[in-house]
Amino acid sequence: MYTFTSIESQIRVLSDYAFMLRDYELALSNYRLLSTDYKLDKAWKRFAGVQEMSGLCYFMLDQSRKDAEYCMENAFTTYLRIGSSGQRNATRCGLWWAEMLKTRGQHREASTVYFRISNEEPSLHSAVLLEQAACCYLLSSPRMLRKYGFHLILAGNSYYLSDQKQHAVRAYRNALFVYKQNPWSYINNHVHFNVGRWYGVLGIFDVAIKHLLEVIACSHQSLTTQSMFLNDFFHFVQSTGEKFDVYKLQLPVFNMSSLRVVNEDHRTYASNADVDVNESIWQELEEELIPSSSVVRTNWLDTQPKSSPFRNNKACVCVAGEAVKLNVELKNPLQISVNVSGISLICQLSTNLNASETGALTTAAEEDIASTKPSISTFESDGNNFTVSKLDIVLGGGETKRIQLEVTPKVIGILKLVGIRWTLSDSVVGYQYFEVATQKKNKKGKRGARRSLNTNLIVIKGLPKLTGYIECLPTKAFTGDLQLLTLNLRNQSEHAVKNIKMKISHPRFVIPGDSSDLDLEFPQCLRKHVQSDSNTVSEGTKENVKGSLFAFPQGIKIQGGTTFSWPLWFHAATPGNFSLYLSLYYEMESTTDIPYRTLRMHYNVEVLPSLDVSFAISMCSSRLQEYIVRMDVINKTPSDSFALNQLSCVGTKWAVSTLPSRDSISFVETIPANQAVSCFFKIKDLSTSSCIEAADGSCGSDIVLSPGGSTDVFDVSRTPITDFHYQERHQQGKLAKVPRGLLDFILISKAVAVNSSKSEQLLSHHTCHCSALSQNPVWWLMEGPRTITHDFSKSCCEANIQLVIHNSSEHNTTVRVVTSDCMAEKSQTAPSHESASGQGGWHDVSLENDIKAIASTKGTHSQKQSSESISPFVWCSLSSAQVDLKPDSSAKIPLKVCIFAPGTYNFSTYELHWKVHSSESGHVDENVTSGGGQGYPFYVNVLQGA
Amino acid sequence: MASTACFVIVSKNDIPIYEAEVGSAPKKEDLAYHHQFILHAALDVVQDLAWTTNAMFLRSVDRFNDLVVSVYVTAGHTRFMLLHDSRSEDGIKSFFQEVHELYIKIFLNPLYLPGSRIASSHFDTKVRALARKYLYIRGIY
Repeated sequence: MYTFTSIESQIRVLSDYAFMLRDYELALSNYRLLSTDYKLDKAWKRFAGVQEMSGLCYFMLDQSRKDAEYCMENAFTTYLRIGSSGQRNATRCGLWWAEMLKTRGQHREASTVYFRISNEEPSLHSAVLLEQAACCYLLSSPRMLRKYGFHLILAGNSYYLSDQKQHAVRAYRNALFVYKQNPWSYINNHVHFNVGRWYGVLGIFDVAIKHLLEVIACSHQSLTTQSMFLNDFFHFVQSTGEKFDVYKLQLPVFNMSSLRVVNEDHRTYASNADVDVNESIWQELEEELIPSSSVVRTNWLDTQPKSSPFRNNKACVCVAGEAVKLNVELKNPLQISVNVSGISLICQLSTNLNASETGALTTAAEEDIASTKPSISTFESDGNNFTVSKLDIVLGGGETKRIQLEVTPKVIGILKLVGIRWTLSDSVVGYQYFEVATQKKNKKGKRGARRSLNTNLIVIKGLPKLTGYIECLPTKAFTGDLQLLTLNLRNQSEHAVKNIKMKISHPRFVIPGDSSDLDLEFPQCLRKHVQSDSNTVSEGTKENVKGSLFAFPQGIKIQGGTTFSWPLWFHAATPGNFSLYLSLYYEMESTTDIPYRTLRMHYNVEVLPSLDVSFAISMCSSRLQEYIVRMDVINKTPSDSFALNQLSCVGTKWAVSTLPSRDSISFVETIPANQAVSCFFKIKDLSTSSCIEAADGSCGSDIVLSPGGSTDVFDVSRTPITDFHYQERHQQGKLAKVPRGLLDFILISKAVAVNSSKSEQLLSHHTCHCSALSQNPVWWLMEGPRTITHDFSKSCCEANIQLVIHNSSEHNTTVRVVTSDCMAEKSQTAPSHESASGQGGWHDVSLENDIKAIASTKGTHSQKQSSESISPFVWCSLSSAQVDLKPDSSAKIPLKVCIFAPGTYNFSTYELHWKVHSSESGHVDENVTSGGGQGYPFYVNVLQGA
Repeated sequence: MASTACFVIVSKNDIPIYEAEVGSAPKKEDLAYHHQFILHAALDVVQDLAWTTNAMFLRSVDRFNDLVVSVYVTAGHTRFMLLHDSRSEDGIKSFFQEVHELYIKIFLNPLYLPGSRIASSHFDTKVRALARKYLYIRGIY
């Protein structure tokens, strides 16, 4: 224990006096002497004090920096080691040390010393020390601005903790100079939020709000932080007690690139979605519909059409009394839902029509916006010139919504869309102006004019306008679905419109009906008992359908305030998604600025696959002019079942009937989901006069498949079905590229309704251009007794049979019949039949030397089969016969066969070769000019007679 | 055991282009800005130090209390900064080297604009997997 009178204390006093008298050498030597003593005695507090003084001595002597620092360090750590009693001393020592370093220009080291002291001190002290540390970083070279900012923030925090808000704000504000425009988002938010909050606490709300505005649109923060920011913001806004106008408020974010002005000049749209359809689609559709502008041109030099004074002006045109719509996307960057109310457009309407003057006016306004951000209230009270819509929405967290704003000009003039204003949570009014740069682009190039935003609109005098929609157009339909729809048009203005025309993009799916169809009850109106001579009508519409341009009857005018309806037939032709575009053209009754307008409608229909119908037709080998038809129907729906109603052949030429053997079986065919069904039918050509069997009454062009009987038959020759069939025929003919189709089928089926409340759904499937598998111009048939009884003990048997040949082609035909006695078993099967006819090579060989050719080919043919057997019968009348057949005529060739033994024989070993003589030389007939065919099997039983 | 590890890639314009909290400690919201402040301040030191050495790995360049900032500087002066409280320098070095490879792959992408934010989720998962591999002391994983 060292008392005041101890030797060490005396020496300490001596050295302190020496220090005061600036004899630093003496002081230092004494301090060093003392320090060893104190160290040995473990008197740490005194040791540290001596070390501190020797450090100062070293510094004053300016001899050894290292020693000075070492001493200070030693003193500092020793003070800290002895606990709370050395705290103040440590701080003092640190301050000396820092001052020492600063004097020598070692600012960086000084700041670390300050930082070390600050850790040990209460918050207010540490705040001051941290601020000093920050200043040291600023003074160090090179300057360490980021460290400066960081330590200022730390200092500010300490000030705040010690309830020194003003100082805290001062420290943060200084730090803001460093962190201004900082991409480190969390830092930025923290600084702005704290500055804003503390200003708010201090009662300086406007600055507080300004800072908080920087952070309220932070999307990267967590939900709690976002709500904290927002709550504080609204709290301060409410404490100000007035509504704030904020330019470019970041909440919600308006996506200015999504901005679109929809103005209806001569083009009007049925619904908002139709606006988004590409303009070129409409233009293509309306090509024939609207009068071309070239009519107005007087000669070829006059390239600029003078029809409208607005055409030359680049500004768009809108009509007084009709709303100009503006679509814009707005996004909530936060995870909290925000309430945005009163979203409206800021507009100017100048009633002065002088374009140049208005231009000057608007440019002045633009400059105004750019420089001073004029208050919005001047635009608001313009109620007598135009009205703006107000929209209130709630945006959920992270939600993006597309909104539509409207402005309805009431007087003629120039309307200028300036910007958007909105109210956030009933307290903050945000407003944003549209970029002016897009307008400059407008002036530069015509190309860009359409795409870029045009905010200047010329308001013209009020016009009549039609609005329209298609009633109950299905969004989903099965393939083949046939429906009667109604097109409703409403004229909302006082003036009448006339000369209405319509164009439909897909005449295969929708065709306009007849005015009488409107009151018909579907589908009963299609039934057969309603007989009318509508064929002539359908002929007329066919012409319209071709161009898909439909003109309403001349007399039709839609008076102001009335609704007009017109029937439309809908038929879902093919599965898939398709977009249906309708464009209606109408002219004004009175002369106006715009002579005509168009109403554009757009619908999307999804057509689901239902029944898949295919037909396979093969020639009937036992009868002439008859075909066997196999109809395969597959139900492709996952859950619905369909009942087949009827199958019809188009036209009067063909008759369809069931196969004779199937007469007794009733054709109740309901096809459940994912099932397939095959039916066989017989069709007969009724048109040929040489038809062997007379058509009996039961054969018609329709066959009923449902149990309902003949009352349920639909008339396929009536308007909608024939028109759709004509479209299908045209379309399928284009696809298949079949030159000549044999016949067309229409299969009508009904959806089996699960719930009876649904109205009857009718489906019609059109399969066109069906043709037989092999199409020969010549038909032939063997006729003769099937059973012969003969006594072979007397002589060989002679059987008389005849071959009936019919020419079904349109030209004269030469037919040769060649019989051969070898037995050709293979000839009965179809593939060898074809190969044999191919071998015949009759396409190349002329008629004169055909016998040789036949002989040679037959020679090879018979050589192969010579080993098989010898023919048990012999053709005995002739080896070849030739007949000339006129179109649609038949000939009979008598044949005789010699049989040597009883048994069953197949007289099919003959061949037919024909050549079609085209009437015009040089004109090559579609497919077949010549050809050949093997005989059909004809079995005869020969019995041994008594 | 690295309970705190904040990894940031800073482009040469001092803009953070990738940020990830890769520590095993549960993420605290109020610490996010804290880490940013420390890393941002450490950039000053890196700026001095980067030109004094040939090595890309600058070891620990700065500390704040018990948090250490280790930095790796690529040839294009993009800085990988890791704020951590563990001491395994070897692990950190290998971590930086592997991340550098990943970063080069990102750079090779012709659609990536140099200096823009790295939004690739593939990159993110890879970096996190590397952090688990190198920054956590054995026994935890």
